[in-house]
Amino acid sequence: MRNSSIGKLFGAFGLAAALSVGVASAYTVKDPQQKYADPGITDDEIVIGLHAPLSGRAKAFGADALDAARMWYDMINARGGIWGRKIRVIVGDDKCSPNDLLAVVKKFVTEDKVFLVNGGSCTHAAVAAQEYVTREKVPFVMLNAAGDAAVFPPTRYVFGAFGGTQRTVGGSLIDFVTKNLGAKKIAYIAHDDDFGASNYLAAKWTADQNGASIVADQRVSRKIVDVTAPMLKIRASGADVIVITTYTGPAALLVKKAHEFGIKMPIVAAVQAVPNLEAFVKNVGSKEAFANFYYGSPLNDLTDGPKQQWVIDWFKKTYNRTPTPFMSYGIPSAMAIAQALHNAGPNPTREGFIDALAATRLNTGILAGPIEFGDNKRDGHNASIFIKYDGAGSTRVPGVFFNRMPLNP
Amino acid sequence: MWTLFIFQGLAGGLVTGSIYALIALSLVLVYKSTHVINFAGGEFVMIAAYLALFLLVAGGLTYWIAVPLCAAATFLLGAVFERVVLTRIQGRQRPGQNVLVAMVIATVGLTYVLKGIIRPFPYADEVRTLPPMLESGPIFIGNVVITRQDIAIFSIAVLSMVALFVFFQFTPLGRALRATADNPRAAALVGIPVRRMRSFVWGLAGALSAIAGILIAPKVLMTPDMGGLIILAFAAAIIGGFTNIPGVIVGGFLLGIVENIVGLTISTNAISVTPFVVIIAVLLFRPQGLFGGRAETKKV
Repeated sequence: MRNSSIGKLFGAFGLAAALSVGVASAYTVKDPQQKYADPGITDDEIVIGLHAPLSGRAKAFGADALDAARMWYDMINARGGIWGRKIRVIVGDDKCSPNDLLAVVKKFVTEDKVFLVNGGSCTHAAVAAQEYVTREKVPFVMLNAAGDAAVFPPTRYVFGAFGGTQRTVGGSLIDFVTKNLGAKKIAYIAHDDDFGASNYLAAKWTADQNGASIVADQRVSRKIVDVTAPMLKIRASGADVIVITTYTGPAALLVKKAHEFGIKMPIVAAVQAVPNLEAFVKNVGSKEAFANFYYGSPLNDLTDGPKQQWVIDWFKKTYNRTPTPFMSYGIPSAMAIAQALHNAGPNPTREGFIDALAATRLNTGILAGPIEFGDNKRDGHNASIFIKYDGAGSTRVPGVFFNRMPLNP
Repeated sequence: MWTLFIFQGLAGGLVTGSIYALIALSLVLVYKSTHVINFAGGEFVMIAAYLALFLLVAGGLTYWIAVPLCAAATFLLGAVFERVVLTRIQGRQRPGQNVLVAMVIATVGLTYVLKGIIRPFPYADEVRTLPPMLESGPIFIGNVVITRQDIAIFSIAVLSMVALFVFFQFTPLGRALRATADNPRAAALVGIPVRRMRSFVWGLAGALSAIAGILIAPKVLMTPDMGGLIILAFAAAIIGGFTNIPGVIVGGFLLGIVENIVGLTISTNAISVTPFVVIIAVLLFRPQGLFGGRAETKKV
């Protein structure tokens, strides 16, 4: 073979090799704008904006829940990530305030270029982000906020209620009192706002379905000082059971007043009424007031019960501190996100992630019921357990109770 | 059932009304002697309640010791505020200038200062209530329910009002305070130390707020924002007439009773609206209050 032919052959091979290297380089260049349609994803990582109230009075609701979510993501990374990509978390403090939450989410999207946002422990704050994330087409998965106003009606980009919405609260409360306590006449006390209206809607539907009736419907302000009037009306109503869905302050006043009035019927309180049992008992001031007292929880056990121990021990080992009662609530959303990122395939887009999350069915081992979303369903959790507290100790009542009210009853 | 509601409303209303009357009295005392409306009156109540919580729960003291200590503390708070802040504002008054608005704004500023002081403390980070004064099972009078604690609250409130009356009527200091309120110049001319009297009135108002705060705290929920119940005291004072002390007391009881009866007969939701409706109604039809003198307009 002539030298010129060999030279041409080598030249051709060299060109082909160079071309191959060039083409290969194009696919390994870490520039998401070239390979990936959405920001926040590269060959090596997926970026998640994670936020909660980390300061102020609502810190107790958010800080440990955020750390629990981070713990889950770290575990995923330790096992190799998702499709080889590690999850990188950027943390923000939303202060449980609509303005601050929106500011944090905007920063995540515009400056940090996250792939999705995972956060929010306070409903009224989380709702503030709905319009923005919908406009920007960014997946927003709440952390532990109920977020009724953001998930009803459902919108494409917002997922939430991993701890259950107020509809879950109302529906499961009535499911419990009718099925477990055999109540036919129910006295219902709620707040005089959207919060109360939401849980009452499901409560009324469930009562009708279960053959019971709400014989007293009392609405109280969050700042009520004297609960004599509502409790007196309840006493006169002939109810079998009192259901309380207010926040802890008014709930403590109501339990105290019921005791003062010598009311002996069962009292069943929603989860928001008893965020801290010890403080609640102190505020009521008398253990005798709890002779016939129950309260709900979206978890699968008491906060320090055996079914919760694995996550409590894991948190203690990771962070070297005892968690607050709200810690466990942070993990289900992280679980759902991780599963959806996996199911969205090796090259997920935001839209693909949303479709995968909408198809999620997940048993968390933490919550009372499964996490289930749908094409027209953005509230993830619809179950509660109930715990009896008798002034001395707490025991879990067997069974799981559900809100089964359809989206548009 | 309606009869039960009316009588229960009356019983409950007298108890809460007695507390409203105490707080309203503290407002009126200050207004009569200094013409300043003390918007921080509710925060005096709040501070006293938290101080009592600390003394009772952390300190393990009894109410017998906690009440006088809290009253002394808020007495000092009121007197010092008047001496350090309000007197200075008045001292900077130029001829022809009225500093009343500045003094009122100073009381608004005091509300934020007091809330800010309390918020970092451990007890303020969650809703709390004072331990009950008396262990109380229900006492039934027919179908009407009251508790021993309610009786204690009512009795202490009424005794405080009686003590105040005796103080103002029969003690030299009380008479001096009345003279200062009626005519400061004449009081000064006869040798009454007017500035010191004003500080004393603010201190006395603080002490009254402390008693009201400790009485109401076992019945309500303590938060740093609980001073908002000052609106109830304003309503009571407006009903009775802002310069009429017996009227203010009657106004407090009336408001408590009306609130309860409205809640029982109309709607529980209406309870929170009642004080505002009452204020509007009184200002529209009898702005000087039920027991006030002739209505007059004063330029500020």
